[in-house]
Order: sequence, then C-alpha cells, then structure tokens
Amino acid sequence: MRLLVIEDDATLRESLAERLAEAGFAVEQAADGKEGLYFALEYPIDLAIVDLGLPGMSGLDIIREARQQGKDFPILILTARDRWEDKVDGLDAGADDYVVKPFQPEEVIARVNALLRRSGGWSSSLMTAGPVTLDMSRQDLKVRDESIELTSFEYKIIEYLMIRAGQVISKTELTERLYDQDFERDSNVIEVFIGRLRKKMDPDNSIKPIETLRGRGYRFALDRGPDA
Amino acid sequence: MSSLNARLLISVSVLLLFFFGVTIVVLDTAFRSAGEQSREDVLDGHLMALLAAAEPTDQGELAMPADLHDPRLSSIGSGLYAEIRNSAGVVRWSSKSALGHELPFGATAQEGSRLFQKESLSDATPLLTLSLSVQWEFPDGELKPFVFRVAESLDSFNAQVAKFRQQLFGWFAAVALVMLLAISTLLRRMLRPLRQIETEIGAIEEGKRQSLSGQYPTELQGVARNMNLLIDSERARSDRYKATLDNLAHSLKTPLAAMRALLNQGLPKKFSGRFDEQIERMDEIVRYQLRKPATLATKNLVLTQVSVAKEVDRLVDGLRKVYHDKDPVIETAIDDGIQFRGDKGDFLELAGNLLDNACKWCASRVRITIRQALSETGDKSGLVLSVADDGPGIPADAAEALLQRGTRLDESTPGHGIGLAVVKDIAHSYGGQLSIQTSDLGGAEITVTISPATT
Repeated sequence: MRLLVIEDDATLRESLAERLAEAGFAVEQAADGKEGLYFALEYPIDLAIVDLGLPGMSGLDIIREARQQGKDFPILILTARDRWEDKVDGLDAGADDYVVKPFQPEEVIARVNALLRRSGGWSSSLMTAGPVTLDMSRQDLKVRDESIELTSFEYKIIEYLMIRAGQVISKTELTERLYDQDFERDSNVIEVFIGRLRKKMDPDNSIKPIETLRGRGYRFALDRGPDA
Repeated sequence: MSSLNARLLISVSVLLLFFFGVTIVVLDTAFRSAGEQSREDVLDGHLMALLAAAEPTDQGELAMPADLHDPRLSSIGSGLYAEIRNSAGVVRWSSKSALGHELPFGATAQEGSRLFQKESLSDATPLLTLSLSVQWEFPDGELKPFVFRVAESLDSFNAQVAKFRQQLFGWFAAVALVMLLAISTLLRRMLRPLRQIETEIGAIEEGKRQSLSGQYPTELQGVARNMNLLIDSERARSDRYKATLDNLAHSLKTPLAAMRALLNQGLPKKFSGRFDEQIERMDEIVRYQLRKPATLATKNLVLTQVSVAKEVDRLVDGLRKVYHDKDPVIETAIDDGIQFRGDKGDFLELAGNLLDNACKWCASRVRITIRQALSETGDKSGLVLSVADDGPGIPADAAEALLQRGTRLDESTPGHGIGLAVVKDIAHSYGGQLSIQTSDLGGAEITVTISPATT
C-alpha cells in the first residue's frame, strides 16, 4: 500500500513515515501543500494523510482539489485544532476520518488500516472470504483457522488483493503500490511471489484463492463472507 | 423619562402653556381696558347731553325735558340711568329708567371734575358711574351746586368680555393642539434616524445584520461610522483570538505528536510509557485551555445566526464517515428554520461533542432533537438541544457528579472526558444549562437548554 504523508513539521513527518514503513507501507512524504497536492494528483496513492495546518496551501484545499480531480482514495486528516468546526470542515471537504495531534502512531496505523479496508468495501476488521481470513491489525492470514507464515512482501500482496477482492489487479499496479522506491522492478518478481503465495495458502490446489487473468493481472477469487 | 421624544414633547408643552398663558392675560387686560375706556367716553357723552338739556327753573331747581337724547333713559330698567342731586345729596331728578332703583351714591367728585366709579345696584347689577359736580349759574346770578350722575349697567360689557375670553381660550387651545401635533410629527421625523440606529443595533445583536447602514443624516454619520468601526474591530479581535488559539494549538501539538512518534524508537518500554504519560498531560492541558468558548465579553456585537439544521447535517455526515464501521442510526428531529444565535464554532462544539459521545457509547441508535425555546415575550433566540443514545447510559450519581463539578481538568470523567466539560462551559457562556437523563432509547440523554437572551 502506498501512502502519502503531507505534514510540514519535518520531525513529525519523518518519524511518522518511519513508523508507517515499519508497518509495511510504502510512504511518500510531502512537506508543504503544493508538493502534497502534486503527489496526490500524480502518484499512485492508496491513502493520504493530510495535516490541516500547512504552509503554501491549506489541507482543506488539497482535499477539495484532489476530490475535484476525481481522486477517491481515503484521506485521513491530522489536526492540531481539536475543534469540531475544523473536523467538520475537513470531513465535509472529502476527508474520511481525523486524528487529533498529538496522536499515538499506532492510532494512525489502525485508522489507516481501517480506511484501506473500508475502501475495499469491507466493514469488519476481520476480512473473511471462504476459508481465508485476514486480520490487518495483526497482519495475520489464516486458512481454515491455521495461520500461514508469510514474508512481508507476500503479506503485502495478499492484503492488497484481498482488500480489493473481486477486482482485477495488474502486475504494474502491484509493483507501483507495493515497492517502496523502485517502480522499474521486474514484474516477473510478482509472478514468483504469487506462485509462492498459492503454494503456502493452497498446497493441494483445492480452494484456488488467486486467479490469473492472462495479460490483465490477478484477482482474489473467493467470495466475501464465511463459507455457508 | 427615558425617551427623547417624551422629553422634548413635555418641554415644548410647558413652554407653549407659559407663552399662551401670558398672551391670554395680556390680550384680556388690553381688551378690558380698551372696553372700559370706550364705556367711559360714552358715559361722558351722556353726561354732556344731560348738562345741555337741563333748564333752570324759577324755583332754583333744574328741570329736565320729558324727551331726553337717549330713549333708554325713559325706559324702566334699561340699564342706563341718570340723576341730579343737590348739594345736600338729595335726589332732585332721576331718569324714568331708574324707577324702583336707588342709585348708589358714593364719593362725590371734586367740583368741576369727573369721577368714574364701579358700583352696583341694590340687585347686585354692576354699574359704571360718572359723576360731575357743577356750580349752576341761575338767571338771577345765583350759583347753586348740583351733582350730575349717569350710570350704565356693566352686564352687557361683562358678557362681551366673557365672550371674548371664551373665543380667546378656544382659539388658543386649538392652535396649541395643532402646534403640539405638528411638533410631535416633526420630532418623529427628526428622531427617525435615531430609531433606525436602535433597530439596526438590535438586528446586529440578533445576528441578522453585520453593520449599520450608511443612510444617516450628517450629524449621526460619525456615530454610525464609529459604531461600525467598533463592531469591525470586535469581529477582528474575535477572529484574531481564534487564530491565535489555532496557531498556539498547532505549534504546541505538532511537537508533542512528533515526540510521541519518536518515543518508541530506541527507548526502553518503561521510559517511553512515562514520557507518554507526560505528553498526555500536556496535551490535555493544551486541549482544555485552548477550547474555551470562542466568544468574548462583547459577544453581542459579533454574534451571527447559525442555521442549526444545516450544521447538524454536516456533523452527522461527518460522523457517519468516522463511525463507518459501527454505522449507528442517527435520527435528527429539528424544528423548521431554527437558528442558533451565536458563534458557529460554539454551536458545532456543543452538538459535535454530544453527538460524538453518543456515537461512541451507543449500541446502534443516536437521536438528536433541537427545539425552539420560546420565552414569555415570544423571543425565539433560545433552543433546547438534546442528544440521546441506546448505550449503557450514565448512572444518576455519576451524572450528578458530572454536573456538580467544576470544570477542572483532573476531575473530568474518563470517556466523557473533556467533551462534556467543553459543552458545559459553552452552555454556561450562553446562559444555558446542562442536564443528564435516561433516554427512552435506553441510554443517556444529555440536554442543553439555552434560554432566550435576557440581555
């Protein structure tokens, strides 16, 4: 998941970015409003964290502009002004949730996970599709109630696919959204990771969680909700 | 006597009364004395005619002809009388008209001079008399003193004066009435700009206007301009105050947030926990101190009308996003066209904190009700806002404690936290009350009653 953090205070921005990276996100940072808006409009972003009190261009304007341009990724606002007027203005402008400074980084990560899950249409924090269950807060994948050992990159892929269960995701999108820096990585690597995931989740090839659509990408194929 | 209009009208009435009173007295006196003068001239004429008509007889008396110059002298009780007395005061002749009347015989004039006197007949009829003492020279050369006396009843004269007075009073009263009406109309016109200022200030205080209009006469333009300057500076001050608080919040909380984010990097857990506690404390102090009601002492000049339904809709839309996973059913029941007279931020703070708490604690349902509070005078600026949920509710003793307590930070209840303290502060700053009940939904119901302004 590629996140955008727009915050003018360097210490806060960098330490928050670090914590988010530790939690497995690819993070873009912007130090002022104009730069932030540029990233929001031009980069492949899954979620933006926007500080409301920014130099150059206010957080509210960034949110309005991004929404106007048709960007529908979730937006989490950071606000120092703990007043409802500001929260309502932010939510009204198109943000989806707010966190009041000084926040616990864990709080931000939890909100980010919830928003990402929500953006894929999941309303519960446990995502269940047939025998497969993903707990984002613990980064835990279970198949038939058994935890599967995954590398962090494998986890990122299954999380991304499962949040968007039913949608076709291209290899390019996966590389863009999941690698921290280098977009130019060989897309064959993705195929390798998908292969490993299939082996770990479905060793006897019975549930077929990930479908390959030739030339188009991959799709998490199991229906949402527990087995009947 | 608080109204300028009444003051001016009363002063003008007193002045008019004085002026007209003096005028009436002067005119009355002049009319009377002119009338009396002409009466005297007439009496003098009669006396001269009598003198001319008198004929000396051989007996040493004076004889008067039967036909006198004025027929009234021959008609009984006509009001014009004449007599002649000798030096002893005995009546030697009296006109027919005096038949049955004894003319009063007052002081006698000095010889050769006239004496006017006001006397009255035996039946109290007022008279003006003129007497003249003469030495009559008889043909034999003897001189005999006689007193000639004419008297005229003043009845008709007095009636004339009374009629004059009546007319005088009538006309002056009419003129005074017309003048007072004219003056009060004039005053109303002159004072209209003042009344307009009063109305417009009222509208500003109700938040219906932003400033005084510029349509004032020259004398009042300065006042209006200064009033507008005052209002603008109050608004600016209020905005500056908010901006200062915002900046302060931003510049204090961003470093606190940064500290938190840095904490877990490399510090042993037991230190980071303690640091975190301190950060929490600082944050609470900052939050509480910076969320004081936005309005100041001169709030009447900076208030606006806040459209309650619109702001609640925005809040509910926002909260639906924030509580997306819980997805509570939020019902709103708001009177049509209801307005909150005050600061928009204050209203959002009241409703936002209550709704947020309700969403946090509810099982699945939240209801916000806002009704107009009507005062006895029909002023509609008050409102009753209540938020109910179907959560665990607040036990009666805890509710009591929440309401009784001061708003000191360390006393605010966890969970309802600063939010409720802020609601209470704001409600109080608008002269309102906070109460906690059990709602029919099963959970807590918190009601804020802001009564119509008493200022």
